[in-house]
Amino acid sequence: MSVLASASPTFPVLPALILTPLFGALLVVLGPRRRPELLKLTAVLATVATGALSLWVLLAFDAGGEGFQFASRHAWIGELGISWLFGVDGISLFLIVLTGILFPIAILATDPGHDSRAYYAWMLVLEGGVMGVFASLDLVMFFLCFEIVLVPMYFLIGRWGHGNRTYAATKFFLYTMAGSALMLVGIVSLAFLHADATGGALTFDLVAIAEAQSIATETARWLFLAFALAFAVKVPIFPLHTWLPDAHTEAPTAGSVILAGVLLKLGTYGFLRFGLYLFPEATHHFAPVFLVLGVVGIVYGAVVATMQKDLKRLVAYSSVAHLGFIILGTFALNTEGIEGGLLQMVNHGISTGALFLLVGMIYERRRTRQIDELGGLQKSAPLLAGVFMVVMLSSIGLPGLNGFVGEFLVLVGTFNAHRWYAVVAAGGVVLAALYLLWAYQRVFHGPAEGDNADMPDLCLREGLVLAPLLALIVVLGVYPKPVIERMEPAVDALVEHIERHVDGFEEPTSRMGIDISPDGPLDGPADSEEGH
Amino acid sequence: MFAQAETVATPEVLWWALVPLLVLAGAAVLLLTVASLVRRLPEWLPAAWTIVAGLAVLVSVVPLWNEVQDDGARSFLAGAVGIDGSTLFVTALLAVAVVATALLSRAYLTREDLPGVELYVLLLLSAAGGVVMASANDLIVLFLGLELLSIAVYVMAALHLRRIQSQEAALKYFVLGAFASAFLLYGIALVYGATGATGLARIAGYLSTTILLEDGMLMAGFGLLLVGLGFKVAAVPFHAWAPDVYQGAPTPVVAWMAAGVKAAGFAALLRVFVLTFGSWSGEWQPAVWGLAILTVLGGSVVAVVQTDVKRMLAYSSIAHAGFLLVGVQAASDRGTAAVLTYLGVYTLLACGSFAVVTVVGGAGDDRHGIDAYRGLGARRPWLAGAFAVLLLGQAGVPFTAGFVAKFGVIAAATEGHSYALAGIAMVSAAVAAFVYLRILVALYMEDRHLEDDDEAGAVEVDPAPWGPRIVITVSVALVLVLGVVPGPLVDLAKDAVPVLVGG
Amino acid sequence: MIAMAALQGFDSLMSGDTVVAQNIAFGILAVVMIVAALRMVTTGNVVHAALYLVIVLAGVAGIFILLGAEFVGVTQVLVYIGAIVVLFLFGIMLTRGALGEDEEADTEKRRMAVLVGVLVLVVTGGAVLDSFGDAAVNRAAPSLTAEIGDTIFSQYIVPFEAVSVLLLAALIGAIVVARKD
Repeated sequence: MSVLASASPTFPVLPALILTPLFGALLVVLGPRRRPELLKLTAVLATVATGALSLWVLLAFDAGGEGFQFASRHAWIGELGISWLFGVDGISLFLIVLTGILFPIAILATDPGHDSRAYYAWMLVLEGGVMGVFASLDLVMFFLCFEIVLVPMYFLIGRWGHGNRTYAATKFFLYTMAGSALMLVGIVSLAFLHADATGGALTFDLVAIAEAQSIATETARWLFLAFALAFAVKVPIFPLHTWLPDAHTEAPTAGSVILAGVLLKLGTYGFLRFGLYLFPEATHHFAPVFLVLGVVGIVYGAVVATMQKDLKRLVAYSSVAHLGFIILGTFALNTEGIEGGLLQMVNHGISTGALFLLVGMIYERRRTRQIDELGGLQKSAPLLAGVFMVVMLSSIGLPGLNGFVGEFLVLVGTFNAHRWYAVVAAGGVVLAALYLLWAYQRVFHGPAEGDNADMPDLCLREGLVLAPLLALIVVLGVYPKPVIERMEPAVDALVEHIERHVDGFEEPTSRMGIDISPDGPLDGPADSEEGH
Repeated sequence: MFAQAETVATPEVLWWALVPLLVLAGAAVLLLTVASLVRRLPEWLPAAWTIVAGLAVLVSVVPLWNEVQDDGARSFLAGAVGIDGSTLFVTALLAVAVVATALLSRAYLTREDLPGVELYVLLLLSAAGGVVMASANDLIVLFLGLELLSIAVYVMAALHLRRIQSQEAALKYFVLGAFASAFLLYGIALVYGATGATGLARIAGYLSTTILLEDGMLMAGFGLLLVGLGFKVAAVPFHAWAPDVYQGAPTPVVAWMAAGVKAAGFAALLRVFVLTFGSWSGEWQPAVWGLAILTVLGGSVVAVVQTDVKRMLAYSSIAHAGFLLVGVQAASDRGTAAVLTYLGVYTLLACGSFAVVTVVGGAGDDRHGIDAYRGLGARRPWLAGAFAVLLLGQAGVPFTAGFVAKFGVIAAATEGHSYALAGIAMVSAAVAAFVYLRILVALYMEDRHLEDDDEAGAVEVDPAPWGPRIVITVSVALVLVLGVVPGPLVDLAKDAVPVLVGG
Repeated sequence: MIAMAALQGFDSLMSGDTVVAQNIAFGILAVVMIVAALRMVTTGNVVHAALYLVIVLAGVAGIFILLGAEFVGVTQVLVYIGAIVVLFLFGIMLTRGALGEDEEADTEKRRMAVLVGVLVLVVTGGAVLDSFGDAAVNRAAPSLTAEIGDTIFSQYIVPFEAVSVLLLAALIGAIVVARKD
């Protein structure tokens, strides 16, 4: 419980993060149906306000502080020990900020075309749900928010998507719902077993349950699998990924941005928060499986992406590869790997979000996403091509851009823990360069013919929408220290938590003398803790 | 002989505890009498009368509830009838369902141009039967309550005289229902044979204090009772009647079947199995376990291939019965409270959903194919939105009351270490979600191509009359509110866990 | 109600010694009932079958009376012979033209029927033997009709009233269903 005690501000900022978009949704629903611009304004204001709140959380966050900050607790179903329990630590902080930034961008970037009221309402509900997932420290609350995001996303894909949208939306909903079906049973069983073992009252408090570690090893492994299935579908981990290309491709642009940028992180975040933290032993036990699947995902995603004819589908498959990296880092079970994974979550959200925006912009102009129908766009739209180039390079992991830092940390972490996985994964980086550059070449180079020749370039609005993302790509690539600094205490605590609860486990650290943590040789005085 | 008659000892009667029952039966008889004496009864009167009776029951439950909470449960009439939290909880649900059904029926009867006093009389009598079941403290009383409930519903199913499906539904329901009653009665006889009592309290006392060397007859009795009640709540494999009957019967009557009959049936299951046979739970739990799995899976899977919305909802109501059985299987206070919570939520969901179906069904009550719902989102945004909420609630999506209900039974099952059952139930909930998604797709995602066809395929849906409108609005509001603030309902259900009192 | 009364009657059967005359009467009744039951399922004439059923049911009533359960016995005659068999006969007369021999009365479902009959016998007999074995019948307290009346109008007043309401519902139902629109 002491973990929750630190820094309780008087203003409940985390509930506000969730309620602001929901309040916005209510305003939109009650708003005038025939005035889409007014509805859009409301939605933008609500998301900007939420974004501002998330930035405020970032600024007010105590960088060196341990445990969860801004904690707040309100009883919900007292009889079952469920409460509204929120808190932020270095792991969830940047995902909250990412959510806060991506939503206004996604809403500003595109118009739904029809049924604006429902569209904006669902977007805002979605943001509330996502914020809830990242801020919840109560298992049931987490599950509620984890599940509720399906509904707005389902409608967004199904009503405002492209061609095969109904199929894609239904597939998305059913896959993820079936995946998380067992998680609910897992959550409830965990709470009851915990209450039995400790003799206390029924509680779904994540921190209390995780710190007590009262579950028998064998049982904990089963429970872990119930949780892991839900997260694996959400991430998605190969071979549970088949919903992703369909959902991404058929979703409207804003939907794709949010889906790639934020929703996929629900799974990877879940692994960190509700896998590693709740079941350290089981995570360690099953880590090899996930490492293998992560590597398979990296290679598979890259190979399949290479073969895509549809630009959007290509980006979707590149997501599978990127998420493989995140999984790899997470299950390396050391500070570098987990930090790299976390950073990669943010990076992937920014660069893949930007890629989907760009693909959407091309589609709006050309009404096609087929790579072989495009070509020579560099001539007609040099600015667009330039932005695309930067974002793509960030996605590839070019040094100096944000993708590099995360990927590098993941590879270092994995190398320290499991050398050969890192070697294969590094091959994935090369493949990423291959498919993205090849796609870039086909779309932007060559002679521009027909409609491609006179495609308009970026307009001001689009430029404004893309600018913050570009800035983040560069800033995080050049100066990631403030981010890593804030992640560090939480990640360290997590790794220590694993060491404490897994017999004979010791953090696989730098055998090669590589240590790029901010307190390490790269940035300043070595922390005494980093001595081992 | 006559001398003896003077010594008849009249048992204690707690008249105040019988008020809900007397209101329902009295209202029915009075309505019937007035309707047969007065030549031209105003059209609105029977419905209004029924609604008033339902509300009166609802109001009368409140002081009774306080009384029971303060002074504990009672039994009276020589132990034949009892009153406890669950009695009043289920009575309140039945009253709500009566009011909703009456509101729907009025609009329905007007639209279909049917004479209607009988419907209301039968509805009230049926509800009285349900209340008898919920307060039964004796197997015979339980059986009679069930028969009263059922016979009235058989006739209600047949009420649309010009629709041949209505007649067919009634006949099927009647034959299978009579069959189920026979099972039930035989089960009662065997349990009586094994324990020497029909009073629930005496049976429970006997079972918890006596070690039976030969328990064959008791087991057979358990089995037959389970089959009989399984028929009534439409548990697989005793569900065959439900889809046909739901499809054929007048839609408001289906709302009553789904909400009222199910609530009364589960009240009986709880009283007989969890409460009375509680000390033998090890013997009947496996049977209920199997029944629950068959029911959740069967209901969900078969619902997927339906094309008629009423049939889909019928199968989904079977799946809901499966979830309720999961709670019964737990055989614990938590399980019972979960079942009661679930019943409360399902009453709302069923009344609301069938209210929408009543409206969309249109004159003739036969537009129930999924095509009738195509593009409704564009043409009737509020109706479609309400239906969407109700369907998501049935799917158990978070922040709807449906999730609270499912969470309760899953928690009860896991507390009883029935992990496999809980897992299978959740997976089939995901399967069932597909059914609701199909309707949602029709509502919202197939509107564009309709515009292309110049709305040729679109079925015009008349605006909802005020009766269904009230039912839909109230149920949607409650489904959402209870999804966010479930505390009151959960606490009520917890206080409503039944207790057996002497007899 | 009948079932309940029968159950009550059962209680009183479970003690006391047997009386020879009653045994003889029981033997005769049993033989008559078995013969009638066999003829009932083998005869080709439906009306005859119904009349054989009357003999079987009357035999049951006789056995009840032999055991001192007059009320149940009389109720048996009233309900089963007076109402149900008459209903059968009405049904037969309303739906069939000829009342003679009927070749089609024998169907190939005969084997299934035998099987079901044997099963019912085994289950019922098994359950009774399982629970009571060779326990002697208690004849100390033959049930009095007056007592049954007492019980019905005191302890079982709610079921009794419920039955009346139930009949009301059935009555309305019959009218609703039979009414020409």
